[in-house]
Amino acid sequence: MLPWQIYLRPQTLAEVRQALDSAPKPVLPIAGGTDLLLDLRQGRHAPVQTLVDLTAVAEMTVIELRGEHLFIGAAVPVSRVHSDPLVARHARALTEASALIAGPQVRNVATLGGNVAHALPAADGTIALLALDTQAEIAAISGENRIVPLSQLFLGPGKSAIDKNKEIIVGFYIQVLEASEAFKVSSCFKRIMRPQGVALPIINCAIWLAREGDRIRDIRIAVGPGGPIPFRATKAEAVLRGQTPTNETIERALIALLDQVQFRTSPRRASADYRRHLVGGLFRDVIESAWERAG
Amino acid sequence: MSTKNVIGTSPVRLDAREKVTGKAIFPGDLSMPGMLHMKILFAWRPHARVLRIDTTEARAVPGVVAIFTAQDVPVNEYGLQVKDQPVLCGPGSSIEGGDVVRFVGDQVAAIVAESEQAAAKARDLIRVEYEDLPAVFDPEQAMQADAPLVHPERGMSNICVHYKIRKGDVEAGFKQADVIVEGEYRLPFQEHAYLQPEAGLAYIDEEGRVTIKVAGQWTHVDREQVAHALGLPEEQVRVVYPAIGGAFGGREDMSVQIVLGLAAWKLRRPVKIIWTRQESIIGHGKRHPAVIRVRWGATKEGKLVAAEMNFIGDAGAYMYTTNKVLGNSTIVCTGPYFIPNVKTDVYGVYTNNVPGAAFRGFGAPQSAFAAESQMNKLAEKLNLDPVEIRLRNALRDGDTLSVGTPAPGPVSIVQVIEAAARQAGWKETPQGWQAPPVEQPSEPHLKRGWGFAAGFKNVGFSFGYQENSWARVELHGKSEIERVVAYHAGAEVGQGTHTVMAQMVAEAVGVPFEKVTMVVSDTANMGNPGSASASRMTYMAGNALRGAGLAALEKWHAEERPAIAEYTYLAPKTTPFEKETGYSTPNFCYAYAAQAVEVEVDTETGEVRLLRVIAADDVGQAINPKLAEGQIEGAVVQAQGYAIQENFVTQNGRVLSDQLSTYLIPTILDIPGEIKSVILEVPDPNGPWGARGLGELPYIPLAPAVTGGIHAATGTWVDEIPLIPERVLRSLGKIT
Ligand SMILES: Cc1cc2nc3c(=O)[nH]c(=O)nc-3n(C[C@H](O)[C@H](O)[C@H](O)COP(=O)(O)OP(=O)(O)OC[C@H]3O[C@@H](n4cnc5c(N)ncnc54)[C@H](O)[C@@H]3O)c2cc1C
Repeated sequence: MLPWQIYLRPQTLAEVRQALDSAPKPVLPIAGGTDLLLDLRQGRHAPVQTLVDLTAVAEMTVIELRGEHLFIGAAVPVSRVHSDPLVARHARALTEASALIAGPQVRNVATLGGNVAHALPAADGTIALLALDTQAEIAAISGENRIVPLSQLFLGPGKSAIDKNKEIIVGFYIQVLEASEAFKVSSCFKRIMRPQGVALPIINCAIWLAREGDRIRDIRIAVGPGGPIPFRATKAEAVLRGQTPTNETIERALIALLDQVQFRTSPRRASADYRRHLVGGLFRDVIESAWERAG
Repeated sequence: MSTKNVIGTSPVRLDAREKVTGKAIFPGDLSMPGMLHMKILFAWRPHARVLRIDTTEARAVPGVVAIFTAQDVPVNEYGLQVKDQPVLCGPGSSIEGGDVVRFVGDQVAAIVAESEQAAAKARDLIRVEYEDLPAVFDPEQAMQADAPLVHPERGMSNICVHYKIRKGDVEAGFKQADVIVEGEYRLPFQEHAYLQPEAGLAYIDEEGRVTIKVAGQWTHVDREQVAHALGLPEEQVRVVYPAIGGAFGGREDMSVQIVLGLAAWKLRRPVKIIWTRQESIIGHGKRHPAVIRVRWGATKEGKLVAAEMNFIGDAGAYMYTTNKVLGNSTIVCTGPYFIPNVKTDVYGVYTNNVPGAAFRGFGAPQSAFAAESQMNKLAEKLNLDPVEIRLRNALRDGDTLSVGTPAPGPVSIVQVIEAAARQAGWKETPQGWQAPPVEQPSEPHLKRGWGFAAGFKNVGFSFGYQENSWARVELHGKSEIERVVAYHAGAEVGQGTHTVMAQMVAEAVGVPFEKVTMVVSDTANMGNPGSASASRMTYMAGNALRGAGLAALEKWHAEERPAIAEYTYLAPKTTPFEKETGYSTPNFCYAYAAQAVEVEVDTETGEVRLLRVIAADDVGQAINPKLAEGQIEGAVVQAQGYAIQENFVTQNGRVLSDQLSTYLIPTILDIPGEIKSVILEVPDPNGPWGARGLGELPYIPLAPAVTGGIHAATGTWVDEIPLIPERVLRSLGKIT
């Protein structure tokens, strides 16, 4: 019993626009299908008429440097993101997150576009991209492509700000900061989850930081699931910015994080208490790694 | 038979090529011309009377052919042990109480249509009016006098099983004890999570029989139950098993069989159904949750003197095999140890939860968790090694079990415990056995330790039931046997039984394995094989096929061509529990196991990893050593799911973890770092070539071995599983 009728596989962005515009509605884009097909099959998403497969679209399947940014196509399989040397060099947290999303089979088809568009607050790729201050390129049926900060793409758990009947994410821009005399940058992603390979983590954390000698020049911290939408621990960032990450400052940052974060109890997965307990160790661990890497 | 040629070798499985290449036909793969499709309307509510079913709108959906409800079922009841479950719940039922749904997976209507979509659409348009009834979900509450009754038509109590053991004098026993350990152990539901959800195809065969192709564990009782519900003689019903995608006990009770048969019988057209994973999870039984409260006493020399057990098992909405499962729990809850004074009460209690069902180990894993945890705690109190205390109490030949009679010999638990201990690095010293030293990781939050547990399991259902199994063997050829055809209806649920059967036939008649063809799993041309469960198939089928093979050989030597013989093997007699004392000879064979597990606990996250599992199992004779190893590894991984990961969450009878994305079973990334199988072969005098049973055995000791390891690593006992990280952290006092 197929929950769709027509399956299109455009090769270019122009064809995608046309497909979304003219195909029988309702229409939805599909990439790896590792979220969408389950949602359709299990009845969490109403059946659609048309699926538009994005994985053959040339503009969406490249990883390349564009000026001061690293561009990652939204339809690149996560396994390729994981093994890409440019990503490893400029977005280590994303390399690490890509190694931990699901298991090998899923990673061979799952994409970052799908991970972000599914809009879950604990999605691993999303959390890494958020800490990396990513911008997303959005294409609509008509008009110019726009660039928006990743953080603006989420409305609530599972609710994307993208109108998937009319819009798609083309790719992601991550700023490339080459190390200088003055400072060095690095990032790190870790998560806590066993069993592995089948589901979202109990908790994850990504940190990007710029290190200037023994001070944190700038920092971005993302934690999932830390609220209804992917969560940036801006208060903890403010505590740490300009500081040396001593035990004391990290503890203060953790208090700020705990003050801002909204953990909830999910009866099938984990309690808020457990997440509050875990986040401390995870946060210390990630910040320590990111700090050392930037040394 | 002095030397063995085929027994003890590991030829390639008969079904390996087909399964690996995807050619094997499972029930969901079947199709026939003109086939209709069925969907089931499940109750999705735990306890309610069905007042009205309005199918007007549903029938108007184009393509809908029929909608069956309770009033269409000739004899609206079924059940493997007790016929206490309606086939379809609703008004007009031929059986009293058939208008009540008692758990979320009760079936209310079967919709048949030209397409799956039409059937699904019609299902969603059926309007059912329910009157919700007071429900009960906690078995201890269900035991109270004022609890809502799940089956008021069956008497005034929800207690559906109560077994008692009274051996010796426990109070006098406790007076001799230098130490007494009390414990309360809690065990969860477990979902079978077989690869292949329930599915099947029914049609009328060329001889006019309702024929049901389905995955089950016992062709002939499926047939009996279908015939009963349809009000047909058994000869009018045929059950055939194609390839089966796992069973683990979960297919012992029926799912799609009767409704499929009903539809094909009434419509005279082929009808097919496939359940979704969610339907599979809510719609069939689970391992029984249990709460077990115990008190054990030992002398300072480490000798057990008394044990008292109170075991409450959640039977859920229907009996299923609860009476059999809890019979095993009753026997093994004192462990494979000699205890002179025993008092045991085991209760099975109806609730409005998903039924408790057969599941690998059949009540033994719950009991073993309590018994082996008690042994580990006594060892700690007495400052004895866990292996040492077990050996001081392990059953020897002639020792009486709690039921007052000895286990049939040879009793091999001592050898098995020693083999597991030795393989894991335990040393026998003048002070007794000593555990191997543990190398602690450099990260201070990671703690390692060895845990140990033993276990035993009866082979067969027994408890007075006369175990039997039928087989036929044909020898074809002229001067020499060219071809052997063996008939046996035993279910190949993935364990490799047909391969093992062919090996035993080859051995019996003295031909190479390749000459044997197996004809299997069809009630139309075979006798009753008995169930592929209770670790009984190798033992029972082996004896039946051996008997038939030897009889055919005799005819062959008398120049009959082809030489054909049938044989029904009857296992040694057993007796049921005597009501007040439990005195009995309940089983004709037991098998023994022990495991050592090296555990690593992350004391920051509460995660538990198994680094090494040493599994020693006495199988009597490994007919096929590779398959035996496969059973051990599979059982250990499944038991790891039970012990550590699988968290079946319910809320007022509703199943929250109803998908494999929320009910997390182990994947390849989670399995133990190493599983070392140690196969012992202490022959059973009545087993075919000495074989005992194996399928359930390696499952049984794992959970208590893991909690023993956690204690060795952290000093903390965790008496409830699954050992999800939160529970472990709570036990460690890290969260409240
Ligand atoms: C077994 C299993 C384990 C998993 N484990 C993890 C895990 O550990 N961590 C984790 O984060 N996730 C996990 N997931 C979820 C999933 O794999 C990821 O979210 C994945 O990145 C989704 O990408 P996809 O390409 O498959 O998305 P799809 O399923 O194709 O699409 C998801 C949604 O996004 C939309 N969409 C897809 N691409 C675009 C685009 N370019 N623009 C606009 N909309 C788009 C679709 O319309 C759909 O609504 C797991 C899934 C499975 C099945």
